[in-house]
Amino acid sequence: MGLFSYYEEDSFLHRLNPSIKLLAVFLAVLILTFAQDPYTPGLFLSLTLLTLWWVGRIPAKVILRSTWPLVLLTIPFFIFNTLYFDLGKVMQPHIWFSIGPWTVARESAMAGLALSLRILAFIGCSLFFVTTTAPSDFALSLIQQAHIPYRFGYAILVAYRFIPLWTEELATIQAAHKVRGVGERSGLRGKLQQFRRYAIPLLASAIRKSERVAIAMDSKAFGATTQRTYYRELHVRRTDYAFLAATLLTLAIIFYFFARVGLTGSAG
Amino acid sequence: MSEPIIEVTGLTVRYPLRRRPALQNLSFTVAQHETLLILGSSGCGKSTLALTLNGLIPHDIEAEISGSIKVAGVNAATASVETLTRQIGVVFQDAEAQFCTLNVADEVAFGLENLGIPRSEMDERIHRALAQVGLAGMEQRALRRLSGGEKQRLALAALLAMKPKIIILDEPTANLDPAATTAFFRLIAPLRQEQTILIIEHKLDACIHLVDRALVLTPEGTLLAEGAPREIFRQEEARLQEYGIWIPQVTEWALALRRAGHDIQPLPLTVQEAAETVRRLDIPVPLRSQPPRRPAFAATVPAVKIDGLNFTYPKADRPALHDVHLTVPKSSLFALLGPNGSGKSTLGAHLIGIHQPAPGKVFIFGQDASAAAGMTLARLTEMVGYVFQNPEHQFVADTVYDELAYSLEVRKEPEERVRKRVQELLADFQLELLARANPFTLSQGQKRRLSVATMLTVGQKLLVLDEPTFGQDRRTTERMIARWRRLQNQGVTILFITHDMRLVLEVADAVAVLAAGQVIFQGTPGQLYEQEDLLQQANLVPPPLFRLAKIAGRSALTAIASRA
Repeated sequence: MGLFSYYEEDSFLHRLNPSIKLLAVFLAVLILTFAQDPYTPGLFLSLTLLTLWWVGRIPAKVILRSTWPLVLLTIPFFIFNTLYFDLGKVMQPHIWFSIGPWTVARESAMAGLALSLRILAFIGCSLFFVTTTAPSDFALSLIQQAHIPYRFGYAILVAYRFIPLWTEELATIQAAHKVRGVGERSGLRGKLQQFRRYAIPLLASAIRKSERVAIAMDSKAFGATTQRTYYRELHVRRTDYAFLAATLLTLAIIFYFFARVGLTGSAG
Repeated sequence: MSEPIIEVTGLTVRYPLRRRPALQNLSFTVAQHETLLILGSSGCGKSTLALTLNGLIPHDIEAEISGSIKVAGVNAATASVETLTRQIGVVFQDAEAQFCTLNVADEVAFGLENLGIPRSEMDERIHRALAQVGLAGMEQRALRRLSGGEKQRLALAALLAMKPKIIILDEPTANLDPAATTAFFRLIAPLRQEQTILIIEHKLDACIHLVDRALVLTPEGTLLAEGAPREIFRQEEARLQEYGIWIPQVTEWALALRRAGHDIQPLPLTVQEAAETVRRLDIPVPLRSQPPRRPAFAATVPAVKIDGLNFTYPKADRPALHDVHLTVPKSSLFALLGPNGSGKSTLGAHLIGIHQPAPGKVFIFGQDASAAAGMTLARLTEMVGYVFQNPEHQFVADTVYDELAYSLEVRKEPEERVRKRVQELLADFQLELLARANPFTLSQGQKRRLSVATMLTVGQKLLVLDEPTFGQDRRTTERMIARWRRLQNQGVTILFITHDMRLVLEVADAVAVLAAGQVIFQGTPGQLYEQEDLLQQANLVPPPLFRLAKIAGRSALTAIASRA
């Protein structure tokens, strides 16, 4: 199983309606952008991953392996934000130390941490959605609940189907070029040239394959009838609304709690 | 005969920006419940015909059409795609590129959904269609877990569920191994009672017994002949050869006998018919048209020696190669056989540094091919050329000339030598006129010639080819074999990975069979075809002539079994 991809299971989270789940995740991300402290996104992230592990039955190993590379990714954000934080905004900064032009204070570290955790919380939310949502259910739900035109829904599905094929094809092209004696290029010009060499055969076969799929689909009357039926029908149940409400309520409680204990706000 | 279900009169189809029409003034009829074979060299418009019949041309794909087509009583030019797709279903060649969902049941349901079939009827239709193709119980299986053969059977099931009156098979077995091909056509036999079937095929040995009538198109897209296949193969022998159209192997054999003065009536098409002919006329069964070439495989260093090679892909639960031992004699034409996914390509990849063998496992002309033993990619690619199945994957330059010059320039050869060598290769591979063309704009056959030529530029002595006859017509295959023989005489060893059992019988000096990552056989083709359970284990079917020899008597068999 690849990282950051659908994990087959039959759990409460997997059974949720994909469109509602997406809405919940989207709203959570939107609300979290307003959090200025590290605690709110930190706690929400922990709750999200715990729910994913406990309710969604996604093994901890899968969760950790999918998230830790992204944790590394946030480190530069943390450092940058900490160093360039405008301490002028703070009345009485708790200065820790200075190196060269930079002064590091408790307040700037907190701001850096807040940004990093916010990014991680967004990543956690995406992981929550991706690991528990079967791609075909997602496409179907977009058609049936979000009412996107079914042609687009199927386009998404076909694109998803083709991802592993492209990966395979690229590996073959790389091998084929290696056999020609084309080494890995270095330098920007070399890399660009290499990209062009890989891109042309890949593009040629992508166009050919998508044409073929389109012909095969149309040959099975895709889009030819006015009344399309569905073999699998997805519904929005009471549990879906409950999940949406629970997500929003959790966020409200977290925001309220930290506001009460006075930990919100960048000044701390 | 009842009312024809397809009636085509004066059909001409021309794609935009093309000078020549793809199909020209074509007229024919197909009777209900008839099985019609459509023959023609590659690019003669067979697939265009299929898409014109089901209305995709011109409704979806732009083309200029004249003449008339009537399908099941309706005029195809004015009928909606919906009406036509209800009547006609098509199974395409590329299994990967005809599915648009992720699991088996959804894929069968897709066509039903498009037709607006009520949901309550779907389950029953899906189960029945899957049972018809032997995929019952696989409803929830992910498509990526299906084998090539299963995918094509699923494609057929998806059509059967839609209950079309006419089924068009557009080279459905081109990518399948011999056993999967036989299994696919076995499913078609019972459908002939209920459906009208159009078969577009290159390789006829596995399907000719199903055919009632045949239609032959010329390379210009006009009708060459129409009638019983037996009559067509007899009357149009010369022209079929000229157009590079394959005919069944036993028919080819019988025609050769006729030329030699034997009176063979009627002309056999299948192994059973040929066996009948042999019994009746008491004639010899030559397994090769020429006496077998017996290259003196001197006890020199072999081209390839593999000694206990193991390989497991990351995250795979079983090894792709397990304790492989293999010896490819120098200057031999060596065939590597085995079912899809048995490790053939993985093995090939170890010969050219795509996968790294451990030291002491793989030797090319006596030299350890492992980087750990000091082998460089530059030196390896000087000894070994590797031709991929899809030639496009290997192209790195913008013109045919630069493509051929590439490996030499990388090696900083003097310009004069580069020019000379490239000219030689252009001439050898009939590419002189295309020296300035972009490789991507060549025809399939030209692309393949170019990809082989690029692998010989620096004087490689071992050529590894992955499925060299895939999609090739008879003429290009014959030319390819002649070229191999020339190379062999120059001392080149050719190792080819293939499903093409006719090719193996015709050219291979030696074969090895891989199954589940292990070499389960190494010897001559004759010896291999004798071992029935081994063939079954490896999804192989002996070519028709060999089956004929077997039925006809052992004397002929020993003739090829002895050439070791």
